[in-house]
Parts: sequence; structure tokens; C-alpha cells
Amino acid sequence: MRTFRSTWLFALLLISALVLAACPAPAAPVADSDAAAPAEAAPAATEAPAAEAPDFKIGLVTDVGRVNDRSFNQSAWEGVLKAQADLGLTEDDVKYIETQDAKDYADNMGQFIDAGYNVIVTVGFALGDATIEAANNNPDILFIGVDQFQGEALPNLAGLIFHEDQSGYLAGVLAASMTDSGTIAAVLGTDLVPPVVAFNEGYIAGAKSVNPDINVISTYHPGEISQAFVDPEWGAATAKQAIDQGADVVFGAGGITGNGALQEVATHEGLYCIGVDTDQWDTVPAAQPCLISSAMKLIVPGVAELITAAHDGNFSGGNVFGAAGLASFHDFESVIPQEVKDLLVTTKAGLDDGSISTGYGN
Amino acid sequence: MATASPALPSPGRYRRIFRGLLIPVLALLTALVAGALVMHLSGDNAQDAYIGLFKGAFGSAKGWAATIRKMIPFILTGLSVAVAFKAGLFNIGASGQFVMGTVFSVFIGINFEGLPMAIHLPLAIVFGIVGGALWGAIPGILKVYTGAHEVIVTIMLNYVAALFAGWTVYAGGSQGQTPGPLWDRTAGPISETPDVLASARLPYLFDPSYRIHYGVFIALAAVVFIWWLIYKTTIGFEIRTVGQNMKAARYAGIRVNWTVILTMGIAGGLAGLAGAVETLGLNHKFAPEFGGQVGFDGITIALLGQTHPFGVVLSSLLFGALDAGASKMQFDSRVSADIIQIIQALVLAFVAAPMIIRALYRIKRLPTESESTSLGTSWGGS
Repeated sequence: MRTFRSTWLFALLLISALVLAACPAPAAPVADSDAAAPAEAAPAATEAPAAEAPDFKIGLVTDVGRVNDRSFNQSAWEGVLKAQADLGLTEDDVKYIETQDAKDYADNMGQFIDAGYNVIVTVGFALGDATIEAANNNPDILFIGVDQFQGEALPNLAGLIFHEDQSGYLAGVLAASMTDSGTIAAVLGTDLVPPVVAFNEGYIAGAKSVNPDINVISTYHPGEISQAFVDPEWGAATAKQAIDQGADVVFGAGGITGNGALQEVATHEGLYCIGVDTDQWDTVPAAQPCLISSAMKLIVPGVAELITAAHDGNFSGGNVFGAAGLASFHDFESVIPQEVKDLLVTTKAGLDDGSISTGYGN
Repeated sequence: MATASPALPSPGRYRRIFRGLLIPVLALLTALVAGALVMHLSGDNAQDAYIGLFKGAFGSAKGWAATIRKMIPFILTGLSVAVAFKAGLFNIGASGQFVMGTVFSVFIGINFEGLPMAIHLPLAIVFGIVGGALWGAIPGILKVYTGAHEVIVTIMLNYVAALFAGWTVYAGGSQGQTPGPLWDRTAGPISETPDVLASARLPYLFDPSYRIHYGVFIALAAVVFIWWLIYKTTIGFEIRTVGQNMKAARYAGIRVNWTVILTMGIAGGLAGLAGAVETLGLNHKFAPEFGGQVGFDGITIALLGQTHPFGVVLSSLLFGALDAGASKMQFDSRVSADIIQIIQALVLAFVAAPMIIRALYRIKRLPTESESTSLGTSWGGS
């Protein structure tokens, strides 16, 4: 009797769920599908949706990460939200689609294109080709490609890129200035991803500029691309290994993998660590005992400024360099000697005016 | 279960088809209801999500195009896993075989400029099949001669294939290190191959913006071929006999060792063909982010399709629709695409453990039906 009753309960649930899902179906979507149909026929046309909606809509497509990855997808989305606030847009004017499969970039952009969005932000160098194609096919829509270098400038596509090698260089200067043992380390995501390599090359060059004989133990994650940024255990183990070999400053650059390294260093008394991409003082609180700074790419203001420019009609295509630099020292403000701070300031100035070269990419 | 011995009184063709469809359909419905509950609990609107999902997959020509485009690799990797199941082998290596097929076909595709398409394209496809088949045969050979279980070996070979493929396109050149042999020298620091030459690309059907290519016919031809091979040929009979009882097969004079290696080779060839078709038809190059995830989806698809070639087509349609609709679902309802993975995982759980579905809906077993779907003899003895 008991099983009999629960079965019926389940059947009822099933039926009610189906009914709920089915009932209002014809009413609601009609307006939508009508709007979608003409856009389908003429993808490049902007007349129908744009004309009746004078408001400003911003869409974002992630790479195969998520918008809460505490790394660049999240930063780019926060940039969109900042622009939304700055421009006084409503919550409905901004939307994101998280990509499941690298082959879906074009489809996901297509959702925004068909719906007549004004600005589409695509995040990550992997979307570069798909973004260029979409920009070519939709000259009336403005595209912002985060981390996408533009070989040929398109008027409606801005590639927001960063000198990772320069912020890596500053991290290297800081690390080499703070080490007692003369050995520093870097724990990195895969060398299949160019920005990671740039961070590392800059880091080594910066460290050598302070002390040509410094010993830098830098280790790339050996795994495939889908593993390399989500392996905190490997990051922690690799950091531990470097510490055993005498490293007393560790640079963790590689998503959650790097975070694992930072957290490992934080458990050792008197060692320092340096984070990456964002100010990891905020994103990885567990690393605060060792985190003297982070080698940042300022994606949030970069994206927000480009969207504002698009809104105000000042948008220009091609490569746009976002600010790169070190995060604040937070609790280590008093620990870091004034001459090191001065050195970092002059180094930053030298990198900016070109008198100092990181040697990467030549 | 579709392989029920012909000697027993058949319950009738349509009835058998109905019984075969019953569990998968109920599994899907249950997964959809459970998915709706999850969305409800996390404060999302399940109704908007499912409407968006359906519209995204079937609501427009572009939606249909995306669904069909996604079916192509699902069909081929699903067939790969299904064929292995027929011989009682669990091929978890479709992912690695897919990647090896990709690398082999892209090697042909980016070289040999000037070859006519009639030679270049088939050559690239055949190399993809060969690459996957060789990679699939390795666990078969190891199983036969050393007793190494194919599940363990195929899983490990997945990693080897992924790392090998990554090495072939490694952009070390920009850092003064040895680059991979297939790396595009014009790509700067980006690790990828050059584009496949036009003479080795599968042409698009319809308008290029739909991105449907002739691979769809290759996939359907493979379905018919595998159906014929499994159910209409001696080799197929041997494969099925080995799958049902290896010892009896040996006693009956079937070359069991050869059949195991051959089956793994065929399975690998199908996954390799999937990699070749995806590369030559859609991606037109290899980069590490085009990984072999679709090879793992093949396991679910084969199980959901009851390891029958036509069932694989149906379950590929379902999975293709779920993936194709995810984009519009997110756009319309702001529900995270993760829900798609939850639904797919639940479908797998319910299909792999049909007891749950039987208990839930009080379905009795027919005497001709065995319980666990097809995982067969693989773990027990060999």
C-alpha cells in the first residue's frame, strides 16, 4: 500500500509539473518569436529591434568558464555591471551567456545579435576568431574582445588587451627585492595560454633586473588546458616543493591552480606570495597572511570605459591597452621598504615610457 | 536487451520497440521533472527555461541547424561506445580516440596543398578513422595479451591523447623553445594549427551561417553500416556472442582475442571519425580547447540509446537539442546552462540504474530482459 501511494504521489507531481510547464506556453512566447523571426531572415539588419527600442543593451559571452570564476570572466561581467550603473541602465539591459562548448561561441553571440543588442563583450582569447567574424557580419553592433589581440583593426571591434609581461615584471622586481634566500618561485597555469607565458617571462626578467644571479623556480601545470587552471592541489604541492628548495616568495598565476599555491604559502610562517589578475586580497582571503601584492590586469575599468565610450559614440576599434600593474600592499604596507616602493614606481614609469623592456614577444 | 536471443518466443516487433523506448523516455521525463524542481528550489523559472530550451533547439531554422550540427559527433561517439558494449567492452576512451582522429585528420588537412578535393578530403577522413582505430586497438591488445582492463587503459589513454595533441600545437616557438610540429607559425603565442586547406574541408549544406556540413550524411551512413555489421554479418554475430558470454564464444570456436581487438578498433575508428568530421566540417583547425568532451557524452548516449545504432540516433537528437537550446534558454530565462548538465547527468543515472525507474513507475520486467543494461561481462570475467 505504501509504495502504491508514493507512486501515485509521484505521478501527480509529474503531471502537475508538465501541466504547469505546458499551459501558458502559447501565450507568453508569441511576442518573442515574432521578433526573432524577421531578425533571422536578415541577421545584419538593425531596423526592427533597434528602432523600437531606443535603450542601450549590453550582452556578454564567456569562454568555457563561468561568470563567478573570480578571474577574468567575473571581472569582465563586473565591468559590464559597472557600466550599467554608470550609464543608469536597468537590470534588463545587461545579460550574459555562459559558453558550454568552445564550438558554441558563434551561437551565443547570435542570441544577442538577433535580439538587437548594441554592445557585445566576449571574454578570452579563445573567442577571438568568432568575434572577428561576428563583427565583420554585423557592422552596426559594437564588439569588445577581452584578451583578444587585433591583427587588423575593425571599426566596430575593440580588443582589450594587457601587458601581462609588464605586470609580471613588476611582480618579479617585488619578489626579488623581498627574498632573503635568493630563490623565488612561480606556480603557473599551462604554457598553452599566451598570457600565462607573458606573466612568467616578465616575472623572470623583472627578478633578474634586481639580481642577475637570482634562482627562479617557475613551473607550468603539465596537464591539458581544461585541467590547468582548476587544479589547486597541484598548485599547493608545487608551491610546497619550491619552498622545500628554498623559495621564500611565490608568484601564483593560473586561476584556481595559482590560488592553491597562494593558500599553501600562507600556511608557512614568514614567506611571501603574489597573486594575479585581480587584487587577490579580496578574492582569496585565505592567502592574506602572505599576500604582499597581485600582478593585476584591470579588466573591470577597462570594460566599463569601453562600454561607456560605445554609449557616448566615442568607440574606436583596434587594440586598446588596459592598465596593468601591482595591487596595493594592504597589510604589508609597512613591511615593504620604501626603497622597494620607489623602485617599483620608477620601474612602472620605465615600462610605461618604453625605456625598460621585458624582453617578451621579441 | 535488444540482443535478446532469437530462439526465445519474440514478444512482437512493435512491443519490443515499445519496451526498448519505455525506460529511456521515462528516464528523460523524470530527469526533466527533477531539473524543474532544482530550478524551482534555486529560485529560477523552470517554465521559461524549458520553453527557451525548446525554442532554441527547434524554434527556428538556426535552432534546428544547431541541433543537427551537435548531433553529428554525438552519433559517432555514441556508436563507438555502443559497438564496444556489444562485445561486453566498456570504451571510456572515445574522448582520446576522438582527439587522435582530430590530430591525424588535421595533419593531412593542413598539408598536401594542391591535391584535388576528391583525394584530399577522403584521405583526411580515412586518416582520422585510422588514428582513432589505432588508439582504440591499444586497450584491446593490452586486454587480450596482458589482461589489463580496458576501462583503466582507455581512461589513461585519454590523458595521453590530450597531452599529445596539446604538444603537437605547442606554441613554444614564440618563447624560443621547440614548437609542436603542427603549430601555426603565424599564430604568434597562440597554440593552434593552421586552418585546414579548402580542399580537405567538408562542404557546408545550405547557407554557411547555419554551419551544417556534409558530416551529417557520414554520421547517418555510419549508423546504417554499424547496424548492418552488428546484426547482419558474421563478424557482428561474433561480437555479440563474445559480449554475451566470452567463454561460450571461445568454446564455439570464435576467435575471442581477435574479436576483442577488432571491436575496440572499430569503436576507436568511429570516435576518430567523429574527430575528423568535426575538424574538417566545423572547426577547420585543432586547438587544445576543442577537447574530447564529446567522447564522454558518447557513453551516456550509447546507454540511453540502449546500445542500438538507431537508439543512438534518437538519444543524439535529445542531447543535441539540449545543448543547442542551452544558449537561448540562458538568454530567455537567465537560468544557468549548468542545468543542462544536471539533466544530462540525471538521464544517465536513471538509464544506468533502471531499477530506479522500474520501482518509480512500477514496471515489471519481461523474462527476456536482463537487468543491468549492457555493462555486461566486462567486469566479471574474461
